[in-house]
Amino acid sequence: MKKNELFAVVLMFLATIGTVIGIFAYEKSRAKGYYTVELTARAPLNGNWYPRKFTVPFGQEVRIRIRNIETVSHGFAMPDFNIEPAINEIKAGEVKEIKFLADKKGTFPFFCTVWCSNEHLHMSGEITVE
Amino acid sequence: MSVYRLPFTVYRKIVVGFLFLSSIFFFLSSPSFAAERFFEVKAKKFSYTPNIIKVNKGDKVSIRLISEDVHHGFFVDGYGVKTSAHPGMEGALSFTADKSGRFSFRCSVTCGSLHPYMIGYLYVSPNNLWVWGVFGVLALGLISWLITSKKKQKDEKLKLFGIIPLEWRFPLTKFKPLRALLKSRWFPFLPIVFNLFIFTIILLAGFIGGLGAGNYNFGVMIVWILWWVLLMMFMVPLIGRFWCMMCPFPLIGDWIQRGKLINVGKQKSWGLGKRWPNKLRNLWPLVILFWVSTWFSGFFTVKPFATFILLGAIILIAIIIALFFEKRTFCLFVCPVSGFQGLYANFSLFGVRSRDPEICKKHVPKTCVVGNEKGYGCPWMELPYEMNRNTYCGLCFECLKTCPYDNMDLVLKPFGQDLFAERRRTDDVYNRRSTDEAYKALTMIGIFLSFFLAFQGPYGHLRDMVTAKTFGLHGYLGYLLESFTIDFLLIPGSLFLFAWLSKLASRSKEVKLKDVFVNFSYCLVPVGIAIWGAFSLGIIFPNGSYLLHIISDPFSWGWNLFGTASIPWTPFFTGLMPYLQVLVTLGGMLFALDFGYKFSQRTYKDIGEAKRGWIPILIYLILIHIFFVRIFVG
Ligand code: SF4
Ligand code: SF4
Ligand SMILES: [Cu+2]
Repeated sequence: MKKNELFAVVLMFLATIGTVIGIFAYEKSRAKGYYTVELTARAPLNGNWYPRKFTVPFGQEVRIRIRNIETVSHGFAMPDFNIEPAINEIKAGEVKEIKFLADKKGTFPFFCTVWCSNEHLHMSGEITVE
Repeated sequence: MSVYRLPFTVYRKIVVGFLFLSSIFFFLSSPSFAAERFFEVKAKKFSYTPNIIKVNKGDKVSIRLISEDVHHGFFVDGYGVKTSAHPGMEGALSFTADKSGRFSFRCSVTCGSLHPYMIGYLYVSPNNLWVWGVFGVLALGLISWLITSKKKQKDEKLKLFGIIPLEWRFPLTKFKPLRALLKSRWFPFLPIVFNLFIFTIILLAGFIGGLGAGNYNFGVMIVWILWWVLLMMFMVPLIGRFWCMMCPFPLIGDWIQRGKLINVGKQKSWGLGKRWPNKLRNLWPLVILFWVSTWFSGFFTVKPFATFILLGAIILIAIIIALFFEKRTFCLFVCPVSGFQGLYANFSLFGVRSRDPEICKKHVPKTCVVGNEKGYGCPWMELPYEMNRNTYCGLCFECLKTCPYDNMDLVLKPFGQDLFAERRRTDDVYNRRSTDEAYKALTMIGIFLSFFLAFQGPYGHLRDMVTAKTFGLHGYLGYLLESFTIDFLLIPGSLFLFAWLSKLASRSKEVKLKDVFVNFSYCLVPVGIAIWGAFSLGIIFPNGSYLLHIISDPFSWGWNLFGTASIPWTPFFTGLMPYLQVLVTLGGMLFALDFGYKFSQRTYKDIGEAKRGWIPILIYLILIHIFFVRIFVG
């Protein structure tokens, strides 16, 4: 009887706190071996790329997670690198991940590829590899 | 029931009726010549201009799509063709309109929070389905009238469609494994824990998803597409409060009150265990609360964070109420989704009932009420031993556990039987048929109307109103006023009018108008279930495919748990959908007609009054069903 009760309580905590811990642990394990950058996509008048400029270490595998927190589609292109997978659209509310090898030093542009607002052409940023 | 031949006059009536109806049909469906039609459609968040396009069958239709703000799409239900347009970059589409009827065209590119509801209508005439739908409604009405007008005396035994006696029961718990399952303390605890797990993910996704668009959010999609549709289409109409059986919201409250999660602890609450005030022991608080929560439908059905707030608030309030009040006071009188579940549960096929009343009579103290070491006294404050309606039974199965004689069963019973049940003896004020239940039935119809028009209709300005783009009379305030007028004045008013006509027609002296109103309002239970079912079809067929995406990537973190994250939006069965919607609506009407005449018999003293009093209600049912068919396909 006592054992049943204990088991039930454990189950309840597993279903709640356990789930949350599990989710974050899984997310963490996916990030292993990569240099991760969080990038937020917004149309220029709403805040533009955030951060607009960032630095990644040379020779590293870099993972950029692009979070579109708006209600329109955006895109992402960085012509100087071979990004994987190629994406043409990041829909509203969606998050996409791209990976690339930072094998060139210097500063390179990245920009949005979807007509997201009248200011679309200003939606660009810079990545520095050093 | 004795078989008797229909008299000749009846045949004549049927023939004349059908000739009349079919002449309307041919008149309306006269053929026309094919032509080339061209439309320029402007798309902006969240509507199209023109929002209604009319062509004839056989026309070659070309559409040029122009976007005025962001990337929008254009998908035609039933035809499955689509295009999309960026600002400054048009989309083009052409097809031959070879299927007739009304088709929604909808946005196929996520363009914002209300994107799944960005809709316009394409009419390809002749709209046969609409004509057939009306034909069906009239035919059902005619048949009902023919059958009822021939009655010579009141039915001795009420039978569903004249076939299945309403008191028919089949105890499912005859099957030993099922009884053992229901008597186990692990049931329904395990399903509850499973839902606790799902709702933990929903809350987390709602929190993380923030204010982004909801169609890639686990919380928004599971709650408003999967849960709502399952609830409205399967759980409530078939099994009653099946959801309440496995609902995780009251779990913490139960734990606090009992001091034990699954074992049997104290029967008396650890909380204050106060009694809910008598005045509020009815469905009124639920009618109002559910209506108030629909004010925010434009937010929490589309914004992840709003879903988080709503669910979080429900869970918190459930805990607080459990601390102050006894047992499941929250579920009985506060939970916003409890009201329609309770009322519509009366339609369901299943119920918990005691088998042999003699055993119950002799059993003191009644353990199903006070509890024993096997389980708790009914947490929903029912009197299980004499319960005859599902409204306030949460299917927690405690009474199956506490009954020492195995006298409680889970039974199968005819649809809608509980709608006729009257409490023989009421221990508690909430156990009776009254205006609160009538208003619950009526407001559910009104809420259906506002939801349908805003979320499945072609009216962009309504969507702007619901999402409070502007406040004021032409904005949000206008929406609230409109919903109040429809839900509390127009729809109840229309039933009231016909109830008054019914009383007038019956020439009854003694019957009270309020009783006529309340009794006939129960006709609207099957009607409400049917139209909400048809509404749900309009959600799940076009937008069900989002579910495949979000189970693989619940937090929009780029996960791909089941390999389905990249499945694009794929509407299915959109061609079949309107036919199903009409069928479901007609199905609801079939039950309403059958129940309606029975209500008439119980309202009025003799057969003459009952037959005369039934006519206005029959007309009312015909009218509202023509209206509903129009809403869905006309
Ligand atoms: S009434 Fe509400 S909170 Fe209670 S079990 Fe049912 S759905 Fe859950
Ligand atoms: S009657 Fe009460 S104890 Fe029995 S299943 Fe229903 S809610 Fe539970
Ligand atoms: Cu759109």
